[in-house]
Amino acid sequence: MLPIRKYAKGLAAGAVLGIAALSSSMAQAADPIKFGMCYDLSKSYTFITPQIVQAVRDLAELTNMKGGIDGHPIELIVQDHGNEPQRGIECYEKLKREGVFIFDMLSTPVSIAVLPRIMSDKNILLQSLVGRGDAIDGSVFSQIFPVGPTYWGQIANDIEYVRQTHNGSLKGVKIAFVYVDYPFGQEPIEILKTLAAKEGFELGLFPYPLPGSDQSSAWTQIRKFQPDAIVSWSLAKMHVVASREMKRNGIPMDKYISVNWLNEIDITNIGPAEAKGLKRGTNVAGGQDVPIVKEIIAELYDKGKGNGDRAKLNDVYYNTGLAIYSVAFEAARLAVEKGGWPLNAEKMKVGFESLKNYDANGLFAPVTVTAEDHGGGGKTRIEMWDGEKWVPQTDWIGAYNDVVWEVVKKSSKSFKTE
Amino acid sequence: MFYRQSGIRHRSYVSDSKLFPIPMDRNLVLFLFLLGLAAPLLIDTLYLNSYVLPWLIWTAAALGLNLVTGWAGQLHLGYAAIMAVGAYSAVHAARFGIPWEFALLIAGLASAAIGSVFAFAAMRVKGLYLALTTLAMQFVMDWVLSHVPAITGGSHASLQSPPFKLLGQPITSDAGLYYVAFGWCVIVTIFVLNMRRTGLGRALVAVREKDYAAAILGVNSLYYKIVAFATSSFIAGITGALLVVTFFFLASPEQFSVTVSVQVLAMVIVGGLASIIGSYLGAALILLMPGFANSLFSATADFLGWQMDPETLAHIPNAAYGALIIIFLMVEPLGLGKIYNNIRDYFLVWPFDQMKK
Repeated sequence: MLPIRKYAKGLAAGAVLGIAALSSSMAQAADPIKFGMCYDLSKSYTFITPQIVQAVRDLAELTNMKGGIDGHPIELIVQDHGNEPQRGIECYEKLKREGVFIFDMLSTPVSIAVLPRIMSDKNILLQSLVGRGDAIDGSVFSQIFPVGPTYWGQIANDIEYVRQTHNGSLKGVKIAFVYVDYPFGQEPIEILKTLAAKEGFELGLFPYPLPGSDQSSAWTQIRKFQPDAIVSWSLAKMHVVASREMKRNGIPMDKYISVNWLNEIDITNIGPAEAKGLKRGTNVAGGQDVPIVKEIIAELYDKGKGNGDRAKLNDVYYNTGLAIYSVAFEAARLAVEKGGWPLNAEKMKVGFESLKNYDANGLFAPVTVTAEDHGGGGKTRIEMWDGEKWVPQTDWIGAYNDVVWEVVKKSSKSFKTE
Repeated sequence: MFYRQSGIRHRSYVSDSKLFPIPMDRNLVLFLFLLGLAAPLLIDTLYLNSYVLPWLIWTAAALGLNLVTGWAGQLHLGYAAIMAVGAYSAVHAARFGIPWEFALLIAGLASAAIGSVFAFAAMRVKGLYLALTTLAMQFVMDWVLSHVPAITGGSHASLQSPPFKLLGQPITSDAGLYYVAFGWCVIVTIFVLNMRRTGLGRALVAVREKDYAAAILGVNSLYYKIVAFATSSFIAGITGALLVVTFFFLASPEQFSVTVSVQVLAMVIVGGLASIIGSYLGAALILLMPGFANSLFSATADFLGWQMDPETLAHIPNAAYGALIIIFLMVEPLGLGKIYNNIRDYFLVWPFDQMKK
């Protein structure tokens, strides 16, 4: 019953997305650089994975058209793990044996499940926006690269934005934190309490239960609390429910500051006009007015070579996918530049840790990754929906780093067992 | 022919109650056991540790749940919560410095204690009401895990398990971890096999069939319900702990969420209630089929040169997997174990089956 022979290369990988458009000069030349993408394509994370996969395929194709990374083409291996830890481990173990050493799980439970294996095998895990927040501590999580903001960093930056809009002082300001009551939503609370004590603002916590389709009691309480700003840790359609409750309770939309998980689909569902004034914190520039997106449209979609539906391009999660892999490809380039070919996990780690003020031409907040800080600085900015497009409200900010790192260090210390 | 029954005569109760009266059955089990022992030599480590090992551990879990649901007839939708109790108590005990042998025992006992609380609900309610009560307890456990950082190590966190040692031997190799899982699964299997032919097993069946009738026969149904819950929880506790120790290497709440409870129950139902071989087959189908269907389908797509986007490629195997479960249950509502029994019954008289008719 159990297949004993090893699968032939290429069959095993779920869906090996052979990159067809290798330029002729490097056609059968160099060994590819493989990225193992074990994604949740069928369950909880499907609100982001289609856009991200499409973005990464486009970016890889564009990079390969330009000669790949130092002459080596990029090969993406995508497989579904359905957000189940054991299937993620299965995917990891399978791809590991095919010579993949750069992995991306794009799921918090699965990233956590493969963490001990990644660490003991000394492979590389991309973990932007998911997984343990304290993984940005490179001194403990040496193989994990969650380049981008943590939820802790994001909330600190959101508070900084509120501070800026209140003339630099939060004394007596009321901030409501509305969140879905499971680990994703609970994560920022510790930072919020610390900052409330430090800055002197009044904090109100308003949880609502999963699946987030009933938030009425939380919003009634928020109405009574009369906050000056509302920070929301919600996902996808939870924002739509929130907007309805806000309307019912007479709370103006411009008080709402969302976590980065709010995209154009949610805006459409809220109603573009209704959503006017809504804000979100993000580390990625939204919209299509970004050089790399323009280039992809010109080189691929205008020539009919895009890797999916063109309509999906106008989505911040598409840009998020581009951001995660621009960083990874740049790190691979630096790794080959510094350590030469063949590339391995050790060199890749050096490559990541050499990233300095890299922002892929304004696609995302500039990141500087060091051996200590694998998050790259955790900068975000606040963007406002003006009815038609996102308008940046601030520069890229990375506030209260001391407070954030205190929590990171405290949490990462508990990870070690010996 | 294969299952020769000639010459098998029972002259005593002991011989009548033998585990395997027919030599073929015994030989088959022996062969599978030897196959299990030799597996590390025969199978590539990828399949050994990413497929066979979790399959054996989930089988042990399914057998534990089968004890309470299949034999004692009590629907249980909070099995993963009980496994979580075991996993977290073992990891905490081991982090505290207690040797793993005792940590595993603590896991079992802690789970048995909390699992017995479920039994008190079982005394009051039955059937669907019990299913909902146990489901509620699963949610209570989920809530506790996500709100008590002292247990889980904080939100979004995970609790790494210390290096695994048994009898002073550090167990880190692929084969070593496999043998631990294999050994545990064998122990649980032997226990359940033997339980069936004891007074306990028969009492559980009596309670399942009709608890009033059992009471009239002198079987204390409340007592046996508690025993069933406590025993199956003990198995769940150690299974949960071993799952963390040999497979996940850390405990996190998502590994024991409500979906996992439903999955284990699905293993039991698809496999067949009160069927041991069914628990093995059910665990294989529910746990391994999604990944297998995925590989199979993408291999086919590759072979035929179909161009598909990754989402479609991910969804079609899921649909096929769902269809497969429906087909199996339509063909044989009593589960995979019954299908195996049908095949066995056929061979029991083959090639002379035509003579009867």
